[in-house]
Amino acid sequence: MFNKKTALTLSASALLVLTACGGGNDTEEGEGLEGATGEPDQLTVWTWDPNFNVRALEIAEETYKEDNPEFELNIVENSQDDVIQRLNTSLSSGVETGLPNIVFIEDYRAQSFLNSYPGSFVPLEEYYNVEDFADYKTKAGTYEDEVYNVPFDSGVTGLYVRTDILEEAGYTLEDVTDITWDEYVEIGKDVTEKTGIKWMTNDHNDLGIIRVMMQSSGVWLTEEDGQTPYITENESLRLGFETYKELFDSGAMNVHNDWDQFLQAFNNGEVATVPTGNWITPSITAEDSQSGDWAIAPIPRQTIEGSVNASNLGGSSIYVLNIDNNELAGEFLGSTFGSDVDFYQELATQINAIGAYEPAAEGEAYQVESEFFGGQMVNSNFAEWTQEIPEVEFGENTYAIEDILAVALQDYLNGADLNDVLESAQQQAESSL
Amino acid sequence: MTKQPTVKKKKLGKLEKKRKIMSWAFVIIPTFFIVVFYFYPMIQSLWLSLHSGAGIGLEFVGIENYKRLFNDQAFLTAVKNTFIFFIFQIPVMIFLALIFSVVLNNKALRFKGLFRTLVFLPSITSLVAYSLIFKYLFANNGIVNQVLMFLNLTNDPILWLGDPFWAKVLIVIAITWRWTGYNMIFYLSALQNVDPSIYEAARIDGASSFQQFFKITIPMLRPVILFTSITSTIGTLQLFDEPMNLTGGGPGNATTTISQYIYNLSFQYTPNFGYAAAVSYSIVFFVIVLTIIQFRLGREKK
Repeated sequence: MFNKKTALTLSASALLVLTACGGGNDTEEGEGLEGATGEPDQLTVWTWDPNFNVRALEIAEETYKEDNPEFELNIVENSQDDVIQRLNTSLSSGVETGLPNIVFIEDYRAQSFLNSYPGSFVPLEEYYNVEDFADYKTKAGTYEDEVYNVPFDSGVTGLYVRTDILEEAGYTLEDVTDITWDEYVEIGKDVTEKTGIKWMTNDHNDLGIIRVMMQSSGVWLTEEDGQTPYITENESLRLGFETYKELFDSGAMNVHNDWDQFLQAFNNGEVATVPTGNWITPSITAEDSQSGDWAIAPIPRQTIEGSVNASNLGGSSIYVLNIDNNELAGEFLGSTFGSDVDFYQELATQINAIGAYEPAAEGEAYQVESEFFGGQMVNSNFAEWTQEIPEVEFGENTYAIEDILAVALQDYLNGADLNDVLESAQQQAESSL
Repeated sequence: MTKQPTVKKKKLGKLEKKRKIMSWAFVIIPTFFIVVFYFYPMIQSLWLSLHSGAGIGLEFVGIENYKRLFNDQAFLTAVKNTFIFFIFQIPVMIFLALIFSVVLNNKALRFKGLFRTLVFLPSITSLVAYSLIFKYLFANNGIVNQVLMFLNLTNDPILWLGDPFWAKVLIVIAITWRWTGYNMIFYLSALQNVDPSIYEAARIDGASSFQQFFKITIPMLRPVILFTSITSTIGTLQLFDEPMNLTGGGPGNATTTISQYIYNLSFQYTPNFGYAAAVSYSIVFFVIVLTIIQFRLGREKK
C-alpha cells in the first residue's frame, strides 16, 4: 500500500505542516525595539505616530543640535501597543539592557507605569519649570509628589464641524458654539433628518467620548484617590451614557469598527461633526477638497454644575528612564519641550501640534488664521481651551474599568436598565481591582 | 577458531559503549534545552501565579489568585466565549475536513493536487494578515454584506464586527476557514492507508457512498479524528490572534478569549503578571480535563 505516491504526499504534507507551524509563530516577532546604545552623546527614544510624535522629536533634535553639534537622537518608531508591551517586558525583567533613554507614555497609562516600576523613571522637575504647563498634564505624571514627565501634546478637544452641512440644515457655527451635549444631540437629530448625513461617528468599544465628557465635568472613572471605582454615583458618566444612547437610537450616530473606518467617515463626508482631540487635525485637513468647509467649536459641556466647554483626550507625555545618560535626556527634554517657545512655534506651524506649554501660546505661530478652517485662529483657540481643562486624577485603572464599561454600554444600548448595568459594572470593577 | 568470537565480542563491546555514549549525548542535549526552555518557565510561572501586585511589586498571596478567578466576571466571560468557540467550531471544522479529504481522495478526481493545495493554502497564511483581510470582507459596507444584500438574504447590512452574536459567528467562520485544510491533511494521509479492498467489498455488498462514509471511513479514521480534535481543542483554548485583530475582543467583551484576557492583564491594564499567570494555568487545567474526556469518548467500544 505504501507506494511512492503515498510517500510523496506524506512527506509533502509533513513539510507543509512544519511550515504551517512556523507560520503560526511569526506574529510575535517584529523589527524589535532597539534599546539605548550607550554612546555618551546618543539618546534612544521609543514612540509611535510618525506624523506627530516622530516629527516633533526630529524638530527637537535639530533645535538641540544647534548648541550641541555632537548630539544624536535615535528615534525608534513602533505602534503604541508594541511600545507598551516592550516597556512592560523590559522593565519587569529587571534588566537595563535594551531599554530606551526616553519613552512616550499616554497620560492615561502613566500612573500604571510609575506605580508598577518604582525607581525605573527619573523625576524631571529640576530640568524645567513645572508651573509653565497646564496642571492636568503634569498631574498625569506626578507620582508620590514628584513630577516624572515633560508634558507633550495637550490632547485638548474640539468639536470639528462641517459648516456647509450645518448651513444646509439651517444652522450656523454660532449655534454649535459653547453648547451642552443635550443641545448637541437635538441639533444633530435635526441635521441628520434634514440632510440625511450622520451627525457623528463612534466605535462602541471606544469610550473616548465619555472620557471627554467626564473630564469636562472634572470627574473620572475612579474617585480622587485614583483607586475606588466611581461608577454608580458618577452623575457625569450616567449622563454620558444617556447622551450616547440617545445619539445612537435616534440614528444620528454612524458606527465604525476601526480607525480606518473612522477616518473614512469624515474624509468621505459621511458625518457632519467630529468631537475629538486636536491630534485629529492632520487627518481632517488631509482631505483637500473639504478645505474651507470645516470649523472648530469648543467641545460641548454637560448639564452639570462645574462642567466647562473644554476637555482632553489621549495626549501623551515624555518620560526618562533611570539608566545611564539620564542627565543628558533630562537636559535635552528640558531645553526643548520644557522651555523653548520657538520650538513650540515650529511644532504648531509644521505639524499642528498644540503643546501644553503656556508661554508658547503668545508666539506668532499661534496667531495664524487657518484657511482650511474658514479663517479661524485654530491654534490660539486650542491653546486657550487648554488652560480651561479641568484637572482629574487618572489613576492607574482607566483601561481596566473602561473595558468593563464597554460591556455595560453594550447592554444598555441593547435595552438593559441604566441603573442595573452601572450597578453591575461598579461591582465588577470593585471585585477585579 | 574458538578465539575469534571472543575477540569479536570485545570489539563489539567497545563499539557498543561508544554508541551508548553517543546516544545519551543525543538525548541529553535536547533534554537540557527542554528543561531550560519548557519546564523551568512552567514551574516559574506556577510560582508566579501564587503572587499578585502591580508590575515588579509582587507579593506572595498563596492561592488568592485562583480564588479570584471564580469571581472575576471578565475571566468567566472569556472562558464562556472560548468554550462557545470550540463547541461550535471544532465539530463543523472536523466534519468539513472529513468531507474535503474524502472528495479529494477520489481516484477519479482531476487536478487533485490543485484542489488539495487550494484547501490547504489558508493554513499557511499569516494569522494577522488573514484576520485583517477578513475585517475588510466583513465590514459594514464590505463585500460579504454587499453580496448578502444583493441576493436579498438580508435587507440591512449585518454588523459582523459590531453585534455580539455575529461577531462570534465571524470568529467561528474565520478559524474554520483557516484550519480546515490543516486538519484535512491528516485525514487525507490516513485515508491513503485504508485498504481499498474494504470499499470494494462494501460496494459489492451494495453500500451507498453515504453508508461507506459513515460506516467505514469515519470508524477507520477514529484515531486520527481523536488526534485532530485534541490538537484543535488545545488550539482553540489558546485562541488569540483572530479575536485580537478582527474584533479586538469586542463588542464589549463578546469575543474576548482567555488568552486575550491574559494579554490584557499583562499589557493593557496595570500589569499584574501573577494573576495573568494564574489565568494561564486555568488553560492548562481545561486542556487536561478536555483531553481526558476526548480520550474516553474516542476509545473503541469493547
